[in-house]
Amino acid sequence: MGQRQGEKITGSNPVVVAGIDVGSLSAEAVLLKDGRVVTFSIIPTGADSRKAAEKALTAAMESAGLQFDDLAVIVATGYGRISIPFAHKRITEITCHGRGAFYLDPAVRTVIDIGGQDSKVIRLNQQGKVLDFAMNDKCAAGTGRFLEVMATALEVELENLAALSDQAVRAISISSTCTVFAETEVVSLLAGGADRAEIARGLHESIAARTSSLVYRVGLDEAVMMTGGVAKNSAVVKALEEKLQLRIIVPPEPQIAGALGAALLAWEDCCAAGTT
Amino acid sequence: MHNLSGLARAAAIASQPEARVSELRQESGRPIIGYLCCFAPPEIISAAGAIPYRITGRPGEPTAEADAYLEPYGCSYVRNVFTQALKGRLDFLDGLVISHSCDLVQRLYGIWTYYHPFPYSRLFNVPHQVTPWAERFFKRELGFFKESLEQFTGQAVTAEKLREEIDLANRNRALIRELYQLRLKNPPLIKGSEMLSLLLAGGWLPAEEFNTLLNEALEEVEARSPEGTPRPRILVWGSLLDNIAFYRMIEEAGGEVAADDTCIGFRLFEKDIPATGDPDEGLKEHYFVNFQCPRTDRGPGTGRFDYLLERAREYNVDGVISYIISFCDPHKFDYPDLRDYLKEADFPMLLIDDNYSFTPAGTIQTRLQAFIELLAR
Repeated sequence: MGQRQGEKITGSNPVVVAGIDVGSLSAEAVLLKDGRVVTFSIIPTGADSRKAAEKALTAAMESAGLQFDDLAVIVATGYGRISIPFAHKRITEITCHGRGAFYLDPAVRTVIDIGGQDSKVIRLNQQGKVLDFAMNDKCAAGTGRFLEVMATALEVELENLAALSDQAVRAISISSTCTVFAETEVVSLLAGGADRAEIARGLHESIAARTSSLVYRVGLDEAVMMTGGVAKNSAVVKALEEKLQLRIIVPPEPQIAGALGAALLAWEDCCAAGTT
Repeated sequence: MHNLSGLARAAAIASQPEARVSELRQESGRPIIGYLCCFAPPEIISAAGAIPYRITGRPGEPTAEADAYLEPYGCSYVRNVFTQALKGRLDFLDGLVISHSCDLVQRLYGIWTYYHPFPYSRLFNVPHQVTPWAERFFKRELGFFKESLEQFTGQAVTAEKLREEIDLANRNRALIRELYQLRLKNPPLIKGSEMLSLLLAGGWLPAEEFNTLLNEALEEVEARSPEGTPRPRILVWGSLLDNIAFYRMIEEAGGEVAADDTCIGFRLFEKDIPATGDPDEGLKEHYFVNFQCPRTDRGPGTGRFDYLLERAREYNVDGVISYIISFCDPHKFDYPDLRDYLKEADFPMLLIDDNYSFTPAGTIQTRLQAFIELLAR
């Protein structure tokens, strides 16, 4: 894939644009045709951001029977956005998740995005414009990585962590927020014969507690949507709903919200002004 | 370095900040006195016949050496500076003056001079509230500071000599304000990183030479014509920024640092040292009463931020980025009040809490870029 220049397309052919989100653990691509989602892909990032972007985009194009040359504009986002040479524009995941979430539900005013290695809370206004945001501090505490490490410690598949937690009637509280220390804490709890389900529930509550402080930092406004891979874990969503005392909207594919936002911004950049 | 001028010279000085003062010391035998923080007036050091030198750190450098002496709650800037000292990089100093600006800096003085006694060293005491008796205290402290320097250099700090030094330094201030005026243009004629590199050079040069440098820079910048499309204008508020790396990051993220309120920034140069019959009176006004560092308690209420709002409006900024070195309590405690106060006036604010390393660069860059996107939309 080579470098190409974005060109404004105004003909009657359908216009296809792409959004690519390269995160720390997964990469997603979303294709829009005339402003509507045609397809998307989700793949693991691996060690090479650029390759991940290419793979995600290729997978999406193949499923829609499209060629690279069909793409009018490509917008890249996520921490790997800088290493995608064929992107026409690089926009941060904050703006993109905000845009994607607002498209999925225009009632959304607060977006909680928890990805592989960071978590962020984004406040939107009635037009979907980002008003404010907060991101977690430097470490990966309370993110997807944290859950991965804890699932390994508890010897449970990541997908089954929420189900395990649901079996518990109470939670064992985990006091360490640092992933490494929390893992040590879990290991010693297990050694002491603690119930795995109760530990799992405690872990989910600790993520909820950490995330809620981030929410309070930017201020809470309903409706609230959760995006990013961790939104697929129903126990985290439930714990967060209890903590914040409200219902959280989880879109069917929470992981693609960033790539969707990037694609929407690509579409706006290229053609939306002329067509809508 | 001698064939360079203006902005290019300022940038070159940063690569070896002590070069000029060391040269001067060799030529004249005048001792070099290093100082941290902005409370002990360098004008007094010059008036006593010594060469003042602003001590700076090397952001991002590991601080293993200092970590052996300082507790983990201490700020990374102090660790960094002490690491420079332990590595022998500040051995060219004949003396050390540290103001009691914050507790850790005061403790640094004790630890530093214990392990490395200087021919001259002084802890300059600064009250934490501005009251009539605190002002009197500060003036007395200026007197003791002078006496100690006189004893060390053998030169009397006369009122006349001090006034001369103040005049020279005020000339610096006037030129800096002229340069700041050129930042009012959109886009500004001088980048934030260029401006800071000039101000930093000022801490490493005698006032007279700094005036030459500023004149050259002014000529250079005035000849520029505004280039490119305007970008979101940012005011940077925060604790110490003694390196241009952070402003560069903002510029790379698509923003324009149009104004600042940091200690090696406009805080020092916004106003002249008032010309008073007794020069100590003017020094006290400038370095204590008017100096806007949150380490001085100015009571409850947000009146203490009015100057900043005025500046944000004057420089027509779109948002404020706050750079705070982790564990800088004075700035961190002021932050929530300031954020709410600025929000009320429709200035969005972003907080960057950093351990004086500007890393992980990707994470900071994402925050900066997202904030600039928010301002641009």
